[in-house]
Amino acid sequence: MNASEDAHAAGRLGIWLFISTEIILFGGLFLLYSMYRLKNPADFHAGSLELNRVLGTLNTVILITSSLCVALAIDSLGKGRTRKSAWFVAATIACAFGFLIVKFFEWTAKFHHGLYPNAKVLLSLPKGENLFFGLYYLMTGLHGVHVIVGIGVLSVMLVRVLRGTITPQNPTYLVNSGLYWHLVDIIWIFLFPLFYLIT
Amino acid sequence: MATSTGVVDGALIYILAMSVLLLFLIVFFMIYFAVRYRASRNPVPSELPESPLIEAIWVIVPTLLVTTMFIYGLTGFRFLRSAPANSLVVKVYARQWSWLFEYDNGKKSADLIVPLGKNVRCELISADVIHGFYVPAFRIQQDAVPGLATYAWFNATTMGSYYILCSQYCGRRHSAMIAKLIVVPPDQFEAWRQGKKIEFTGASYANMPAGERLLYERGCVSCHSLEDNKMMGPPFKGLFGSQVVVTTAGVQRTVVADSAYIHKSIVDPGADIVSGFPNTMPPSKDVVSEDEIGRIISYLKGLK
Amino acid sequence: MAERETHESDYVPYFLHKGKYPGALGWLLATDHKRIGLLYLACIATFFSVAVIIGVIMRINMLPGHVILTAQQYNAAFTLHGIIMVFLVVIPAVPTIFGNFFLPILIGGRDMIFPRLNLFTWYLFVLGAVLALVSVFFGGGAVDTGWTFYVPFSLKTTVNVPLAVFAVFILGMSSILTGINIVTTVHQLRAPGMGFFRMPLSVWGFYATAWVQILATPIIGITMLLVVMERLFGIGVFDPAKGGDPLLYQHLFWIYSHPAVYIMILPAMGVISDIFPVFSRKNIYGYKMIAFSSLAIASVGSLVWGHHMYVSGQSDTAGIIFSLLTFLVAVPSAIKVFNWLATMYKGSIQVEPPFLYALSFIFLFSIGGLTGLFLGALSPNVQLHNTYFVVAHFHYVIFGGMGFGLAAAVHYWFPKMTGKMYNKPLSVVAWLVVFVGFNIFYFPMFILGWEGMPRRYYDYLPQFATLHQVASIGSFIMVAGLVLVAGNLLRGLVAGARAPANPWGGATLEWTLPSPPGQEDFEEIPVITHGPYEFDKKESGA
Ligand code: HEA
Ligand code: HEA
Ligand code: HEC
Ligand code: CUA
Ligand SMILES: [Cu+2]
Repeated sequence: MNASEDAHAAGRLGIWLFISTEIILFGGLFLLYSMYRLKNPADFHAGSLELNRVLGTLNTVILITSSLCVALAIDSLGKGRTRKSAWFVAATIACAFGFLIVKFFEWTAKFHHGLYPNAKVLLSLPKGENLFFGLYYLMTGLHGVHVIVGIGVLSVMLVRVLRGTITPQNPTYLVNSGLYWHLVDIIWIFLFPLFYLIT
Repeated sequence: MATSTGVVDGALIYILAMSVLLLFLIVFFMIYFAVRYRASRNPVPSELPESPLIEAIWVIVPTLLVTTMFIYGLTGFRFLRSAPANSLVVKVYARQWSWLFEYDNGKKSADLIVPLGKNVRCELISADVIHGFYVPAFRIQQDAVPGLATYAWFNATTMGSYYILCSQYCGRRHSAMIAKLIVVPPDQFEAWRQGKKIEFTGASYANMPAGERLLYERGCVSCHSLEDNKMMGPPFKGLFGSQVVVTTAGVQRTVVADSAYIHKSIVDPGADIVSGFPNTMPPSKDVVSEDEIGRIISYLKGLK
Repeated sequence: MAERETHESDYVPYFLHKGKYPGALGWLLATDHKRIGLLYLACIATFFSVAVIIGVIMRINMLPGHVILTAQQYNAAFTLHGIIMVFLVVIPAVPTIFGNFFLPILIGGRDMIFPRLNLFTWYLFVLGAVLALVSVFFGGGAVDTGWTFYVPFSLKTTVNVPLAVFAVFILGMSSILTGINIVTTVHQLRAPGMGFFRMPLSVWGFYATAWVQILATPIIGITMLLVVMERLFGIGVFDPAKGGDPLLYQHLFWIYSHPAVYIMILPAMGVISDIFPVFSRKNIYGYKMIAFSSLAIASVGSLVWGHHMYVSGQSDTAGIIFSLLTFLVAVPSAIKVFNWLATMYKGSIQVEPPFLYALSFIFLFSIGGLTGLFLGALSPNVQLHNTYFVVAHFHYVIFGGMGFGLAAAVHYWFPKMTGKMYNKPLSVVAWLVVFVGFNIFYFPMFILGWEGMPRRYYDYLPQFATLHQVASIGSFIMVAGLVLVAGNLLRGLVAGARAPANPWGGATLEWTLPSPPGQEDFEEIPVITHGPYEFDKKESGA
């Protein structure tokens, strides 16, 4: 083993550990979700009908595409095609922005209907629906924060690939950012059915 | 004392005995080795070969020991957690920072008066935050959680007066959230419950005018001083007839503290919030009746 | 390994080394694990002093007839005392100070594997600490919720809960990243020949702790974030008025905070396991059992959180399961105690100051742990829950265990870290004062709790006055002892005699380095050929 392989392995282990902590972080919320769903099945059903499935599905497609892009970026880098790799990273970032824009419209629509915490309309609904929307904002919000962080990280990667500080011989940073981005994607894959589909 | 006292103490004393024994052995060997094998006396150490037998003993013996402790604790717990069906039911209202007890016929009391030798089931209801219903002498304790029905039960075996303490931290006057549990003969209890005026020795607020006594019994004084110092809520002295600045639905205005205003402040405290105070007063519909509010108001009238 | 005369000329102690940056910057931008360890030491010592002072003020308040605080101030005092002690002192102390300083050396590595991340965690730690302390002066005043932040009280109280809780979140992030750094370092940077079972047991302690840090801390992170959201936006997940369930909060809180008590004790146990063989001149008895019991504590220990909630209103079945598991997790601790004792058997024992602390660790931790059994048993817990018995239990385990373990570590590694030696006779006197004071202070609390004195009480019934008075006096004796301990160490630092490279005759790698080590720990990464406690092989030149 040479030094750079060592560093690569260490980085890999580090990022996997980090990803497990993220999963546990969301795990706490999933736990809350299941407990409350168990207690208020009908209200959760009603709440989930309020959500826009079309936009939800659109966002799912966008995120899966972005995950594919980042995978292709790593692949291209491995094959030594740096420019192509940079394009794929850029496409990932574009998808992330697209995701946020859709999310923005979804949230504003909810706000217009008075479906936000402490709003009169929401408070007048049954307790279970309050919980549903509380969790909806918390979980999609926290996920959104992760998307924003992802945009930041991927932008740095884009610059580094273009500058040539990430190279086919030294791809650790890009690979790890890709792993992080897959995580963001996977969390959404769980959120989507929980809020939009299961009724 | 109560039937639960002995049940819990049995387990406590068993674990205590085991612990003292173990601690004694550990300290004994520690000191013995340190003296017997001190470097000046035993300059050359000799290795002790690892022995699977010894190690197995170290796993198995403690495991068995703790299992007996577990079972002892479990039987006691089963006892504490299964109130007999024929119990006398008392509703216990816990609020910042007082207790109120309500009997099945609607009789309310600031002290928990119970008959000797009867099963009593206390159903705990919290109006605001979590409180702990704790009777050390009876070895019973249970949290009162808002939105959750919990209970504790006991069967008192000696007459006397005991403390009820709040064991779950609940804010500024947590340590003053104390009531009395008074065990009396069953016939006296029955008479008292039916409305006969009896002052039991040890009861908290005997010999006060009705209105003042209510302020104590229902816990108002834990936030409101009857003098003119500010506590959690505005002081009561001179309140009646004075001008009060309040915020109603976000708008500030000045009102006169007349009977109607005070009535509203008690029933729906969130409606007019006195400026300079947080909106923390619990709504008191459950703890004071219309009749009692009237008596409180007439007491406040005289409090100049 | 031969002494390193050949390189004597270019050897400069690590703290005098001129790196890239001069002066204070050389510390604030340090990536050297030894310097970062000292940065943590400086901060943690400061916070500890603050919390000790708060504790003593509380004790003065508890002297009969000496009320000096208002109820609100007292509530803020124990909350702040608890928050500082738990989140700023005991959870980080051993892993960040000694883990940083010694872990890389003990496994023959170059540094921590992510040196810059390591520095970053220190900054996060400082940020979290500053936020926690600043929260006292802003937005409604000092938190008065207790260190457990139970809802719905923490949602209702008018004080600055959001900032304090957010500070805990930041501290959690720092703790997670430290854990990741330690696990990765242990996996990647062990010197050639340093198999897992040749690692000193302190490394096992750090390693098991790091796993708990990684796996449990995110839960407190999300829980604290939820409290912040609840305060700021009224989301409602914990608010009974909106359908939320306060018990879920307690579950989430203890899912982290019970494992956190093992974060506190495991590294201390590791250090103790290193000290016993050194002063008994014998191999540790049952190395593998001790190593595996650390992992057992770390794993089973994460399943027992509900023992804090027997009377909270959780289901009785849950309580029964949690009780059973609680008892099972006591067994690995018992195994360790027995193994330490067996290590002394037929040894050649020298009772030096570090060993004195290690021996008293066993005594105090045993009392603390055995009283944990009272609390773990279902029906006794109903009587003892939330009383001073619990206060006594955790001061015995945390402070008698982790605190005395920390003191043992300080006295053990002080010569290595500073190159100086403290005054040994004086340190024995100081130990005696602390030890006696400790027991006068905390033992009466067991009796108070047994008799029904609830904790977090500003005021108490007259029947408890005498024991409170005894406890307060004990606390003053103990603080006098602490001043002696600290004074002796500081005097040693300034004016102590020069310490040799290996004052205790240890066989682990740190003793092969000069005292204090140079900037580079090892000129050449060593090759390991024997276990950490094979004292006879040490001289023979491995
Ligand atoms: C370093 C921290 C630490 C450690 C190591 C422990 C260790 C243990 N703790 Fe403790 N505990 C706390 C810190 C710690 N605790 C804190 C801070 C609280 C209060 C939180 C709060 O509410 O604010 C608390 C509260 C607490 C409670 C809840 C009390 C309540 O509020 O009702 C319980 C209940 O089960 C408990 C049990 C135990 C047990 C069984 C162990 C066991 O792991 C102990 C194992 C050790 C031994 C058993 C002793 C050594 C062995 C021998 C002497 C050999 C013989 C032994 C046998 C045969 C078994 N602890
Ligand atoms: C590490 C944890 C820790 C430590 C060290 C202490 C130290 C002290 N504690 Fe404790 N305490 C807690 C953690 C700790 N505490 C927690 C978590 C709570 C619960 C809070 C809550 O309810 O929310 C609590 C609660 C608590 C209460 C109960 C409050 C109540 O319920 O009403 C009291 C009451 O007296 C108290 C007093 C003290 C005092 C006087 C000290 C100290 O002042 C004692 C003085 C210490 C020394 C003199 C040190 C001795 C020296 C050595 C061991 C060697 C030196 C070491 C090195 C060189 C490294 N504390
Ligand atoms: C937890 C503390 C608390 C308790 C218990 C409490 N109050 Fe209050 N009370 C307040 C606070 C705070 C205010 C001021 C804010 C408001 O108006 O809601 C207040 C306001 C009032 C007012 C209006 C006072 C004014 O100056 O205008 C009256 C009257 C009153 N309370 C009566 C009662 C009575 C009667 C009880 C007992 C049945 C009681 N309170 C129990 C906290 C409390
Ligand atoms: Cu009510 Cu404490
Ligand atoms: Cu615990």
